[in-house]
Formats: sequence, C-alpha cells, structure tokens
Amino acid sequence: MRFKTTVIARLALRNLRRQARRSLLTAASMIAGSALLIFSLILGDGTHEQWIDSAVRMADGHLSIQSPRFQGSRALKDRMPAASRASVEQALRQGGIPGEVRAVAPRLAVTGMASSAAGARPARILGVEPTAEAAFSLLDEKVRQGRYLRPDDRLAAYVGIGLLEALDLKLGSKFVLTAQDAGGEIAGQLVRVVGTFRTGIPEVDRSLLHIPLSTAGAWLGCSGDVTSLGLLLSSSEQVPQARRSLQQRLSETRGTEALGALSWRESLPELDAAVKIDDFSNYLFQGILFSIIALGIVNTVLMSVMYRRREFGVLQALGLTPGQSASLVLVEGLILTVLSGTIGIALGLSVTWFLWGEGLDLSSMMDNEWTFSGVVMEPVVVPRFRVARMVQGLSFIFLIGMLASLYPALRAMRIDVAETMKFER
Amino acid sequence: MGNPALRTEAVWKVFHQEAEEVRAVRGVTLTIQPGEFVVLAGPSGSGKTTLLNLIGGLTRPTDGRVWVDGLELTRMSSRELARMRLEKLGFIFQSYNLLPVLSALENAEFPLLLQGLERGQREHRVRELFQRTGLAGLEHRRPGKLSGGQQQRVAVIRAVVGEPALVLADEPTANLDSAASDILLTVMEELNRDLGTTFLFATHDSRLMERSRRLIHLVDGQIASDQWQEPRRG
Repeated sequence: MRFKTTVIARLALRNLRRQARRSLLTAASMIAGSALLIFSLILGDGTHEQWIDSAVRMADGHLSIQSPRFQGSRALKDRMPAASRASVEQALRQGGIPGEVRAVAPRLAVTGMASSAAGARPARILGVEPTAEAAFSLLDEKVRQGRYLRPDDRLAAYVGIGLLEALDLKLGSKFVLTAQDAGGEIAGQLVRVVGTFRTGIPEVDRSLLHIPLSTAGAWLGCSGDVTSLGLLLSSSEQVPQARRSLQQRLSETRGTEALGALSWRESLPELDAAVKIDDFSNYLFQGILFSIIALGIVNTVLMSVMYRRREFGVLQALGLTPGQSASLVLVEGLILTVLSGTIGIALGLSVTWFLWGEGLDLSSMMDNEWTFSGVVMEPVVVPRFRVARMVQGLSFIFLIGMLASLYPALRAMRIDVAETMKFER
Repeated sequence: MGNPALRTEAVWKVFHQEAEEVRAVRGVTLTIQPGEFVVLAGPSGSGKTTLLNLIGGLTRPTDGRVWVDGLELTRMSSRELARMRLEKLGFIFQSYNLLPVLSALENAEFPLLLQGLERGQREHRVRELFQRTGLAGLEHRRPGKLSGGQQQRVAVIRAVVGEPALVLADEPTANLDSAASDILLTVMEELNRDLGTTFLFATHDSRLMERSRRLIHLVDGQIASDQWQEPRRG
C-alpha cells in the first residue's frame, strides 16, 4: 500500500486546529520553555567562555606546548630546549593549525624565593617576552603602580601587590630572587620593581612576578630555553581540533617528538570541573522543566486521542494500519512541539540579542571582584550564539515531542475498532 | 466463475463477559455473490453487528473461516487486514462517522487518497458520484454543515468509491427520517444496479428489508432463514 505522508500531515494539522485553545495553551508552555532553554544555554556558554578566556590568559593558554613531564614536576629539568622551541615556533609560523592562533607566549617558569630586607617569600617567577606576553595575558592590564615590562628591560620585575607588601617594597626597590638553576645549583638574581599588579586573586597577587625571559634564561643558565609555549586561540571550541593537529605536527617534526600539547582542561582541571558542574546543573534544570512541559504535551495529545477514539476506529476500518494511526498521533505531537519549539528558540534568540546582545550587566549583584576557581569573574556576561546550540536545542525539543507523543500513539495504535463502534447503538 | 464477494464457513464468535460465555455468532456459513443486495435482519442481540465485524476483519472469529473476494481473512496480520479493508471493503455506519476536519469531498476521496491515487483520478471519480447521488455543489462543506441524509450519502460514496468487492452497512438508515432513508436506499439500489456494487446490510428497518432481493434472518447468532424475494420498488 502506497501511503501518503501528506495525508497524515494534513489530518494532524487540522486536528490541532480543531482543538485550537488546547493546542495553543500547550504551544505557549513549549514556546516559553524553549525560549528559556536557549536563553540559559547561550548565556551559560557566554559565561563559560568568559571564565575560560580569563583563566587561560592568566595561566598557560588554551593550549600549552611543553614536555609531558613538566605539568607534574614543574621543574626546570623538564624544560623545552631552545632548538625544540625554535622548531615549534617555525611550525606555528607555517600555519595550518585549525582555528585562529591569537597569541603565542614563550615562558620560563620557576618556583623560588623573593627576598628583601623585610624577609623572604615563596614566589612563582615567570620569565616572559614582554610584547608577546602583553598580547597573551591580562596581567599587563592589571597595573596598580608603575608599568608592565618592556622589551628593552633587563633587571626589571612586575610584582603582585601582595608580594610587594609582604616584602615591604616600593616602586623602584631592589630585591633578590633565588631559585635552583639548570645545573641544580642555587642561583640569585637582583631585580628592580618597575610595576605592580592586582588581579583580585589573593594567591596570585601574593606570589606571582614577571621578569624578562632573557634575564631569567641568563640567571638560570638556560638562555633561549622555555618551560612552555602558551597558545591563545580565538575560541575554546577550537581547542580539540587544534590540539589534535598540533600534536600530530609535533610528532612529525624533528626535535619536538617528545613534546605534548596540553589543553586548558588538563592544565586547569578545577575550571574544567566547574564548567562541567555548571553545565550539568543547567541540563538538570532544563530536564526538570521539560519533563513538566512534556507532561502537558502528553495530556493534550492523549486527551485528543481519547476524544477521537471513534475516529481512529473509523480510520482503521477504512484501511489505516495501527502503525499509521500511531504515526498520525506522533506527527500531531511533533508538529505541536517542533513548531512551538522553533518559535520559542527564535523568541529566546531575539530577546537575548536585543536586550543583552552587548552583555548582561551583573555588577549590581557583585560587591567587589568575585573570583571563582582561580578566575576573576567579569561583571558583564556576554551571550554566546552558536549554531550547534540551536541544533542541540531543536533536537532536544524534537526528542521531547517524540517521547511525549509515544504513549498516546500507542493508545491509538491499540484501539479496538469494533469496541469503538459499540457505543453508537 | 470468479470468487464470491463473501464466503464464511462455520464462523463462531464467543465473548467472555465476567464468568458468562456469550455465543454471539454460532457456526454461520454464508456465501454472497458479486452484485447481490442482501439484508441481514434480526432482533437486537441476534449477532448481526458481530457478524459484520467478523466479515470486515474488525474482530477475529473464535472459530471458522472468512473469505472476502477469495482472500482468507482469518490468517491475516493486522497490517494485511488493513490493506484488505482498504482494497476490498467499504463500510457504512449508523452514525455516518465522517471525519469532521475534512470536507465532504475529502471524506469521500479518503480511501483513494490512502490507495495513492492521483488527484485528478480521485476528483473525477468522486465528483461523478456526487453528481449521481444528488450532492453536487456540496463538495466543500464540512460534515457539520450537511444534513444527516447528506452525510450518510457522503459515507456511501466513501464506501463505494474504491470499487470494493463488498460494502458492509450497519443500520445505515437508523438515524434518518423516512424521506432521507428513501433517498439513501434509492442511491444504494442504483449503485448496486449500475456499478454492480455488492451490499450487505445489517438492519431492523422494514423498508430496507422489503427492498432487498435476499433476506437473511439471524436469530441467536444463527441463520434462521435465507430467502430470495421480489424487492419492493422505492
């Protein structure tokens, strides 16, 4: 039997119109739910992207090229030799890495002590190339006094405000850095404070300081070497693909075989967990909301089936198979949900775009700087519009429509035709 | 000679209502040839509707066999039964049972739509039947805007439009006044005469009994009499 899908679609549409008020009420709940779904998804994505962007710029970037042992040891012996660094930089210059590499920051990181006449404090010392670092990190924007490092600086240090205060230093003060050098000996380096910063993250402000990479290399006896090369991409979505490509490139390039590309998820596991937990709670909320909406759809479609039992009997007497009766109900449910869901998504997008396209300002809810998982939260959340999210949203709505119509469809399928005709006598 | 329009062989239908066993149809054996105009009469509870349901494949027999146009229903799957109903049977119900969301024309052409006929062919066949049954001009009205008699004539068109081997009509005149009944019976007689459509009615209506050529009396689920008669002209 050649069965026309259009027959079912036409019947389904007319049946929905027949109970217009009931259909509209159900559609309204679906529209509101879908609008809320898309609003929370794109706002959540925007928030997460902001967290990630802030965190990776304060840390090692979206991707960090380093020796696989360095992430665990943080020791100078696990650094990247100058030759390997040159090969990696050459490979990066050749391009072909998916996604846009916004900045590359070579860094020589070492843990040591910072000492002044007032005492000594543990310090996280980062040797950086000032121009590259300024393009990469947000730290140069957090200046409290003085300035950030310049390319021609030699013995300059850009120091966290907490460390500065602990060592009782001022702008222009000299202090000594001590750390284990490349040969395993304790080495000291005199530097002068050229600027101070405040990130709002106490553990950073109390321990971090930047010095020129050339100074760090000479001091630690490993000029030209780095511990990592941080890559900043234009979006965190590009990370998996860029990482695969980069990893392959490293394994194929002579001198870089032993290096690895670490994603932000590995270098910032707390942030990764925070994003996943936030996503999960968002999905959980949406799941509960849509379960309630789905019950409304089940009610509407089931009532419609029960109200039309005789009609389903007639349709089957005329030659509709039980499966086709079920598909008629499914199509009704799907038209209702997909149509209203699409309207809801469009509404959610429009409202978000027009009202908060430039960002949703939450500064009135934050006293001062709010840090979370080592990240300073920006008070303005900028929604992130992604086609993939729209597709996900629509697929979810389609699934809800399908599931909600399944039981009513089974009822229509199992109708006893002779029984439905009985009560006409 | 071709297949009979209908053949039943010792058909039984037993229902279980709580502890009680109800034998609605008891060993009915019956043959109806193409082109016949047969009435199945009998008091309420005599098993007329149950027998019609068994013949229409809407209920499965407890025992016995049923053939429509040579096809045995009793072994068919529900999918095959649906296909058989679409291609071999037409149904007319007491309460017309038109689909309220479709126009008269759409209701009438529904079986052809399910059969996958092209629009042109469908419209040609349906419009001719609208003309023949005196419904021309009412094609685009919804069932709610038609009288009972008009609705039942649309139901008759829907039943015969696919040129089925057999049309089963369960109390088709029960909801109509005598004038509307008369028109309906004339329409069905003409379709039987001109197109050779085979009709099997289940009815209490004496006017319908008088106008049949073959009258079968069913009592307590069994055929009490099966006689040919000279029909009264409408």
